[in-house]
Amino acid sequence: MTLEVVGFWVLAVLLVGSALAVVLTKNLFHSVLWLALALTGTAGIFLMLEAEFLAGVQILLYAGGVVTVVVFAIVVTERLVGTRLAHTSRRVLAGGAVAAVFLGVMLDILARAPLAPVMVPMGADPTKLIGMALMTRFLLPFELLAVLLLVSLLAASYLARPEE
Amino acid sequence: MGLSAYLALAAVIFSIGLFGVMTRRNAVGILLGIELMLNAVNINLVAFSRFHGDVTGMVLTVFAICITVAEVALGLAIVILLFRTRRTAMADHVDWLKG
Amino acid sequence: MMLTVLLTPITVFLLLALVAPLRRSGRPAAFISILGALGTFGAAVQTWVLVDRLDAPIQRVWTWLPDSQGALATVGYLADEQSAIMILLVTLVSLLVQIYSLGYLSDEPAPAIGRYYVYQSLFAFSMLGLVLAPNLVQLFICWELVGLCSYLLIGFWYKKPSASRAAVKAFWTTKAGDVGLLIGIVLLWRHTGTFDFGELQQMAGAGLVGVDGLALITFCIYLGAAGKSAQFPLHIWLPDAMEGPTPVSALIHAATMVTAGVYLLVRMAFLFALTPDVLLLVAWVGAGTALMAAILACAQNDIKRVLAYSTVSQLGYMMTAIGAGFASAGFFHLLTHGVFKALLFLGAGAVIHAVGTNDITHMGGLARRMPQTMIVFLVGTLSLAGVPLFAGFLSKEEILAGVWAGGLTGPFVMLLMGAFLTAFYMFRVVFLTFFVKPAHASGHGHGHAPHDAPMTMGLPLWVLAAASMTIGIYFMLHHPAEAVEAPGWLAPVATGVALGGIALAWATFQRQIINAESLARATGPLRTVAAHGFWVDEAFVAVYRGILMTLAALVGWVDRYIVDGVLNVISAWTVSGGDGLRRIQTGKVQDYVLAVGAGVVAILWWLRGTM
Repeated sequence: MTLEVVGFWVLAVLLVGSALAVVLTKNLFHSVLWLALALTGTAGIFLMLEAEFLAGVQILLYAGGVVTVVVFAIVVTERLVGTRLAHTSRRVLAGGAVAAVFLGVMLDILARAPLAPVMVPMGADPTKLIGMALMTRFLLPFELLAVLLLVSLLAASYLARPEE
Repeated sequence: MGLSAYLALAAVIFSIGLFGVMTRRNAVGILLGIELMLNAVNINLVAFSRFHGDVTGMVLTVFAICITVAEVALGLAIVILLFRTRRTAMADHVDWLKG
Repeated sequence: MMLTVLLTPITVFLLLALVAPLRRSGRPAAFISILGALGTFGAAVQTWVLVDRLDAPIQRVWTWLPDSQGALATVGYLADEQSAIMILLVTLVSLLVQIYSLGYLSDEPAPAIGRYYVYQSLFAFSMLGLVLAPNLVQLFICWELVGLCSYLLIGFWYKKPSASRAAVKAFWTTKAGDVGLLIGIVLLWRHTGTFDFGELQQMAGAGLVGVDGLALITFCIYLGAAGKSAQFPLHIWLPDAMEGPTPVSALIHAATMVTAGVYLLVRMAFLFALTPDVLLLVAWVGAGTALMAAILACAQNDIKRVLAYSTVSQLGYMMTAIGAGFASAGFFHLLTHGVFKALLFLGAGAVIHAVGTNDITHMGGLARRMPQTMIVFLVGTLSLAGVPLFAGFLSKEEILAGVWAGGLTGPFVMLLMGAFLTAFYMFRVVFLTFFVKPAHASGHGHGHAPHDAPMTMGLPLWVLAAASMTIGIYFMLHHPAEAVEAPGWLAPVATGVALGGIALAWATFQRQIINAESLARATGPLRTVAAHGFWVDEAFVAVYRGILMTLAALVGWVDRYIVDGVLNVISAWTVSGGDGLRRIQTGKVQDYVLAVGAGVVAILWWLRGTM
């Protein structure tokens, strides 16, 4: 029982628990908060995988940015409609069955697949490597990503513009 | 912990997210499910990257996170628009394409 | 010169058909056509003289359908004894009819007259092409062309429903026989490898034509001849064809086209000689037709229909002679009949033109008003009745002699009875038309008193009457070498039978010693049957109703309930299936996600199986 194993299991329980809470809780606002916890847990998993930069991005963008935006959206829409948003589920049995069978099949496949047991050293700081890759091999997609962000920003502000 | 442990964890989270997408009535809830599924994908990408010693997976994760942000922004904008026009945020109230 | 015979009428036809203003001008078109007919007649006379002098056939052919071994089919002309004399008859009657029509159709509008002469020219060309054809292919093409002209001319007054119906009836009935002819020609070609008359005759002479299967071929050819020459039961179109103008009836439906079937059999006699069974059939059907048509002619009141049945009857005589193996006798009768029947029709036309009705019971006492017409009509009637010194006597006697020599006693008796009836019904017409007082005063109700026909109509009548007399007297003096010596008792018997018929008609209709009604009643059921034309038309209708309509109803039922039913069931399934499948399109996005998830699971399951 090394520290790594203990840490993984703690994080795994935290992640699965909070994910379940996201999809099961009756309160939409709580749901968002559970999502923030799950995203933070994911950042922990990234740390365990020695991807510190990504863990930072995860916390800043997701737990910070996305969750804030969602909370804003909920607040705005609730104010528009004037009541609390209902947050119920439908077709729980069918959805649960599909999800469970999916999980079972996936785990079965994973159990059979020959997967690497240990990590391979990256040879350098992963953050530096990511930066190098973004600026060389993935430069064009990176720039296109910038365009995508701009377009989605404009589109979102157009769609959600105040009514004339 | 081997690669399979991380992949299994990601699979569990993905399934939970899928369940959320299929069952949540509120459009915002569906978006949250999608976030969970994307997170599971990110965990997979990073895990493969580390266990194969290749940085590409991590780069893709960066992309995925950015695209997710854009997706959330647009998705929420659509929800607000839906709210304005139909006075509802329930996905199952929207069935214009019913046969 | 032979080419002149063929090219003159076709040139006139093309000129009148293509130059519309000329055609619509009416009488100028008629004059051009008559001029052409005159030229054709002259060329035909020259041809006849030439063939007679050379004493050998003149033939000229051009390759038409090339083949690996020379020519599959040729076109050209073959002028021998038979065709030379036949074109003489055709061109003579054609010329006279065209002149006569000028007077007969004088009341018609100009475009109709032009149209009439276009058809006349086309008919002249087609008929001459048929007669001069050196092979069966050309003969068949011209055969169909004369059928077309017959159709067009019967339906000349196409606005009259009965005329257009008669035209269609004639077309279809003859077409039924023509199908047989076409099949026969093709089968014969497969049998012998040639269409050419000369080659066929040589092969038959050398015994190279196999007898196996030949009966079917000759039967098929006979079918075509039976349709054209109105043999039972395909005779039904000819009486109806009288809806056409009377000159047309004289030309096409008495003198020329209807005899094409007889002419074909005369041409092919060498082939039919090889199949005695078919010849026997030809003889019996011919004799039956002759007698039946003679009976029918007695029951008619329409002068043209009497003559039409008379034509059917006389065609039966010719066919019987061919069937008995004496084709030359049939051909001789064809020629004499062509002359005197054309005369009779044109005479009847003059009467109709003057009186304005076809019904002989509405005529009477016309002898004093139309003496010329009466005389020529009487000449034709005596010819037809077979009285000595007239054209019909010798040819009819020759037929009877041939049938007797052929050992066909049954047909011989039938023909003799037919001869008696012929004399009777023809003199019934003569007495009722020209001599007795009209039974119905309304007959002359169209304004002016009937009088002799104008010059254009009178001249052809006198020419034909003269021809009938000349032929009769000429052959009495220069008795032609007969194929068979008639028994000595035949001429007196034939003459006696004819005179007996005349006497009965005289007694019944002129003297009225015998009451016509009681005479009719004496024949009992035969009269009822005859009044209905032996129910041949009804039989055709019954066959049509019974077999074709039943079959059509069956097919219709199958189509309506089985074919359509299957399609309706399929379409109903499609509709209900679509209606059911419609429900799975809920329009709710999560139901689709569920389906996508299930699909992904299925794919994963499949992938797992491949691992």
